[in-house]
Amino acid sequence: MTPNGAVAFALLVIVGAMIAHDLAGLLIILAATACFALASRRAIWSALAWSAGIVLPLALFMMVVWVGIVGRAPHEIAAGLEGSRSAATMHVAIICLRLFIIAFTVQAAFLHFAGWTPLRFVGALTLPRTAKKLLVLTLSLIDTILQAVDRARTALIGGGLITRQRSWRNLRHGWILVQTVWLTVITIVVGRTRDKWPVEETLARLEGTLAARVPGRLTAPDFGWIALAIAAGVAGLR
Amino acid sequence: MLTTPRLVAIALCAALNFAIGNIVYLIKLPIYLDSIGTILCALLIFPDRLAAIVCAFIAGFISAILTGLVLNPFLPWFSLTVLSIAAVSALLTARATYTFRMRPLPVVPFAGKVLLYGLITGVVSAVVSAPVVVYLFGGVTGSGSTFVVALFLKTGQQLLDSVVLAGLATDPVDKIAEVLLAALLYRATPREFIAMMAPAKPSTA
Repeated sequence: MTPNGAVAFALLVIVGAMIAHDLAGLLIILAATACFALASRRAIWSALAWSAGIVLPLALFMMVVWVGIVGRAPHEIAAGLEGSRSAATMHVAIICLRLFIIAFTVQAAFLHFAGWTPLRFVGALTLPRTAKKLLVLTLSLIDTILQAVDRARTALIGGGLITRQRSWRNLRHGWILVQTVWLTVITIVVGRTRDKWPVEETLARLEGTLAARVPGRLTAPDFGWIALAIAAGVAGLR
Repeated sequence: MLTTPRLVAIALCAALNFAIGNIVYLIKLPIYLDSIGTILCALLIFPDRLAAIVCAFIAGFISAILTGLVLNPFLPWFSLTVLSIAAVSALLTARATYTFRMRPLPVVPFAGKVLLYGLITGVVSAVVSAPVVVYLFGGVTGSGSTFVVALFLKTGQQLLDSVVLAGLATDPVDKIAEVLLAALLYRATPREFIAMMAPAKPSTA
């Protein structure tokens, strides 16, 4: 499977999940995604747990709002009906399953490329070279910023300006952390763009690296997965 | 339009959007602050308005995709909101760049412009986000504003109306905080970096 094939499969599954309107249709699409995840031949529990970890709190919140407080489904409100809590529960189940499929599909696609570096993955995508360069630069700067966040946060906690827990002090002084991080990073970036990168020819080398990684054409397994995603989407509409 | 310094600014602002989500999580603030990089990108590239819109949108879009892959898979659905924030920032908020950098800080004009532009950004963002919130999340996103949605639904309002009204009640507060932080960061940015954002001049040789 190629990265382009994985992206195409994920996009088709997500589109299918968005247009499927009942629980049965969504379950068919979920089954296709589960097959896709299993085909990676890696343990899929982490992907399932991550997706559930994102959707479960939302599901609880939705149950409180729709079933507990509102007590009827949106289509019942629109029709001016008295409505029922069971219809509200079904509405929550459909929304949550749809969200779960979206989260799980992204994780399932990751499973297929678990051993890849971001540079290798971005290089194998069919994208304009400027977009690839931007993605690589952003990923590199995210690392720089996150390190700056760690350092600044430790210093500000040590200085008693912010705390580890939720506090009013964090609300009052949180902007100092943001400003400290920005000043650290902007200084690093000015230094890199003015001196370091021109001397080391970093951008030209990055261009060369990305140009050398010509994205492969879609393979037979890619077409197989794309066909499955389309079939699941069509079946989900019935 | 996309000169190397501008590409670096886009990458930096996209990384900032991503990292501020991390900061908000670390210091447990009850707000999102996920568009500061988008607004800041527009301020940095102004007065070239078209480039400011395009670059700010790209910065916001890349951060939404990366955050979507790593932290929150539902964020890329708000790409149209990112575009609207980029447009408002480049066409309106960026008009205040002179005030934002003035020394000493003119407190009243600074605060007034931050409030006004933050409010407009919040209203536009609430209206543009509402259809996504309704269709993707069924009106409930897990944020505190959801209880406002529930309150409106309970009084018999339609779902889309409830989400728009709740967004109008809560988004401006978040966006005022974002415009304020973007203005403070813009104010702290070295002049040398802002000068690099000027469009490349054609060589006369």
